[in-house]
Amino acid sequence: MPPIGVDEWVARSGERTEGHAGPLAPVLRRLERIPPWAWLAIAAGAAALFPLLTDSAFALRVGVNALLLAMLALGLNVVVGWAGLLDLGYIAFYGFGAYAFALVSSDQLGEDGVHLPAWISIPAIMVAAAVLGLLLGLPSRRLVGDYLAIVTLFFGQVFVELVVNLDRVRLPGADEPISLTGGPNGIPGVDPISVLGTEIITPRGYFYLLLVLTVLLMAGLHLLDRSRTGRAWRAVREDALAASFMTIPVNGVKLMAFAFGAAIAALAGSVFAAVQAGVFPQSFETPFLILIYAALILGGAGSIAGAVLGAVVVSVTLELLRDPDQASVLFYGVVLLTLVARLRPWKLLAAVLGATVALGLVTHGAAGAISPDLTAGEPALGGWTGGALDAWLVLPENAATAGNWAFVALVCGVLATTLLAPRLRPLAIVPLVYVAAFAWEARLVGQPAITRQLLLGALLVVMMTWRAHGLLGSRRVEVL
Amino acid sequence: MLELSGVGLSFGGVRAVHDLDLAVEEGEIVSLIGPNGAGKTTVFNLITGVYGPQAGDIRFAGRSIAGLPPHRIAGRGLARTFQAIRLFLNMSVKENVLAATYGNTSAQPWQSILRTPKARREERDANAVAESALGFFGQRLAGYRWDQPAYSLSYANRRRLEIARAMATEPRMLLLDEPAAGMNPHETAEIAEVIGRLRDERGYTILVIEHDMHVVEGISDRVVALDHGEAIARGSFDQVATHPAVVEAYLGRGAASTKR
Amino acid sequence: MDFFVQQVVNGLTLGGVYALIALGYSLVYGVLKLLNFAHGDVYMVGAFIGFGVLTAFGGPASLAAPVPLVLLAMFVAAALGSGVLGVVIERFAYRPLRDATRIAPLITALGVSFFLQNAVLLLLGADVRTYDTSAFIPVTTAVDVGPLSISLVRILVIVAAAALMVALARLVGRTKLGRAMRAVAFDREAAQMMGVDIDRTIVATFFIGSALAGVAGVLVGLVFLQVSHLMGFIAGLKGFTAAVIGGIGSVPGAMLGGLLIGMAESFTAAYISSTFQNLIVFGILITVMLVRPVGLLGTPELNKV
Repeated sequence: MPPIGVDEWVARSGERTEGHAGPLAPVLRRLERIPPWAWLAIAAGAAALFPLLTDSAFALRVGVNALLLAMLALGLNVVVGWAGLLDLGYIAFYGFGAYAFALVSSDQLGEDGVHLPAWISIPAIMVAAAVLGLLLGLPSRRLVGDYLAIVTLFFGQVFVELVVNLDRVRLPGADEPISLTGGPNGIPGVDPISVLGTEIITPRGYFYLLLVLTVLLMAGLHLLDRSRTGRAWRAVREDALAASFMTIPVNGVKLMAFAFGAAIAALAGSVFAAVQAGVFPQSFETPFLILIYAALILGGAGSIAGAVLGAVVVSVTLELLRDPDQASVLFYGVVLLTLVARLRPWKLLAAVLGATVALGLVTHGAAGAISPDLTAGEPALGGWTGGALDAWLVLPENAATAGNWAFVALVCGVLATTLLAPRLRPLAIVPLVYVAAFAWEARLVGQPAITRQLLLGALLVVMMTWRAHGLLGSRRVEVL
Repeated sequence: MLELSGVGLSFGGVRAVHDLDLAVEEGEIVSLIGPNGAGKTTVFNLITGVYGPQAGDIRFAGRSIAGLPPHRIAGRGLARTFQAIRLFLNMSVKENVLAATYGNTSAQPWQSILRTPKARREERDANAVAESALGFFGQRLAGYRWDQPAYSLSYANRRRLEIARAMATEPRMLLLDEPAAGMNPHETAEIAEVIGRLRDERGYTILVIEHDMHVVEGISDRVVALDHGEAIARGSFDQVATHPAVVEAYLGRGAASTKR
Repeated sequence: MDFFVQQVVNGLTLGGVYALIALGYSLVYGVLKLLNFAHGDVYMVGAFIGFGVLTAFGGPASLAAPVPLVLLAMFVAAALGSGVLGVVIERFAYRPLRDATRIAPLITALGVSFFLQNAVLLLLGADVRTYDTSAFIPVTTAVDVGPLSISLVRILVIVAAAALMVALARLVGRTKLGRAMRAVAFDREAAQMMGVDIDRTIVATFFIGSALAGVAGVLVGLVFLQVSHLMGFIAGLKGFTAAVIGGIGSVPGAMLGGLLIGMAESFTAAYISSTFQNLIVFGILITVMLVRPVGLLGTPELNKV
């Protein structure tokens, strides 16, 4: 080995201590060396196979939604993940793109409407959205997190209100008020997108269109990240003042990030309008914004692959939550996984699981002895697992109110458990699991819409307090 | 090259800088000294555009820069380092330096994405500038360090990286704010040598704020002493160090009469 | 002319409520540099608690106790309940992020807000609850000011809001806790080194701010009658718009901002159309941000380089 100086030996210590260990080490090292292009090609290829494996229009729609969310997460990543700006009105650009596309691809405007071909209208809409993004960014002059958050949040709110109320617009010289945006009912009858002459009208078609767009977007953003613009964004996020002394025009760079994010959202919005063959104001309200943020935070803000991964995971999970059976599988699976991941010595894990089972059986037996009504209900899960649950869980027929109390107890219990000393926690976890199961069966499983929102909100809180860099993001060091 | 004339700045009722005249000729190394709170960093902030002067003018290379935003001033050729190190901690060493080449390149995002010849050429040139700046520090910031995150660097290396980053803006003048702060004697001597080399090998004009008098003595062509926002002495190191006003400012009244 | 004065009264009523919400935001921002998005939902919970107390006493039409007692119970319960909720949120959602980036707690706050809204939806359903104030405070109970008669409820709101604001101003300006809050707001580390208990001060700030929001919730219920799980979002938005317009971190600024927005909304609804209320408020926000970014009564933050 050539002699190396002390400095270099110290500098390379990171490589020595962070190396992989265990039997998978050679595999992991090989994986690390695969360039991003190869990964993208593999993922794109796998995704392209997906529509060929299933004929279900429903599954394809889920795929389409996942890809739309992925595009939105990618756009948000530019603004929040790279430039570090908190844009809470992001869905307004999505809505802008959707409505603009609808206006120029339907009968809404004028006698027979305006029907521009997509390859003209979409780029124009993206540019318009970028300009809108610039305009929105300007007043938040300091563009510091707090002020920007308020202005953008308000903007998102105002956008939806405007759209809902612009259905009676009096133009000068016209006799009758015209409906610009269709009001609360939206604009129906939006044309499909045509590519190279053929109209795309099936979910499978739109899946492929979106897949191509997403892959192009990922590649473009990757190249941008490595360029002077990407470096400037990240420098501004790290230390805006220092960046300004290093010749970076901070405000201009921030506005550029804003404009880029807006343009990407508008692109997604336009395709969305074509997919749905219509636009409706309800799609652009705050719950959807939370969804995009949840996808980005989960996947890892700052990472292109993370944004897409987060979007896919969140989309698929939320679809699973619609069906009580599948949702229950997910629920119990997550509970078990959490226990396995957090209770380290396997003896402790076995003890906790054993105690939980025992507690359940005993309680069930006691309840059954008191009154058969107390156990008359049935868990949502079918099959033999459902049967096992039935024998373990005390579940009356109409347990909604009890379920509510259990939910409150669950939340308080989880919070309280985090305060306990680590030694005492397993003791608290045993009854907590039982309460969780009860809350699930008695109340949550019957309210999929609300449960999914609760899940998203909780996801944001848990991710930020526990693993702020998400699945694929890199851990950040902050200046204190 | 740099000329402050009659510059004044107040914060509320506090006069931070008052009627300050300061000139730095091309190729000089001038040190700015004074007790804490004398206004030295405020002068740097005035020069680099954090504040606009309320009175007087600041001219660089013959043109006024008073009131310009910081990134424009940096673009004219004035680069600085900071008293408390302000690196882009989560970016790699090389990226820190590359980021500073922004002002000297102009590839638009679409050009970067499509990798036009201009974008590729600019990227190559920027890399060359960055490598040259990093190479100035020899083994300290050698190649194996370039991909490491900046937060993993030692304190002395962080100071060096800050200087390298400032160099990457291809400036004509460097403003170094306490470059030797927090360094042990060995590192301090090294930094003093680096400052000399910056002028001799790269031709930068340098204005330094420093507390360590050994460094000041070793590197300065001229010294300006500040107290309460006003210049109280100018000249060579020996002239300023023994000036009664300077001694009084540092050691208090009565010390002047007992010195030497 | 009467119409005009009526709008002024409406504006004051609304303004008082917004000011109370804005104060909570300003207090927390001053101490933690954090915009607590969940604040609006704490206000919503306060409104529900007030409703719960009203029902516990037999419901609006058949109160089992004298009206002033019931009102007092509602205010106290809402203040305590919201205060505790605010403290819990701080402890579990914000404290772990105290040294993280500026936007991390904002995103968490978003999550908390969303979670709270849906938890209330789950537990209490989507039905709008009505305070039905006229059942226990007859509409005819009014004070005559010249030719105009102002309903007692509105007067109650204005007086309560004003009283609370004065009390808060004294708290921040004259008490030991107030001094601690100002110290922590100015320089957290230095305050710590001077012996100020940071955690307790922050907890107290959250409690007070959230309690104010809870009271605001009850007041809104009394005047505008309807309480739903979604009311927190828009009220919170306007509340912190008021705080920002007035100058975030400044107590008189929050009051001014609240009043300004209340008046603007009231007059817009009366003279133009209620559909444009939010647009006008947004316009005011943008204008202030452009002309005077620190807010009307705010002080610029000095950034030491």
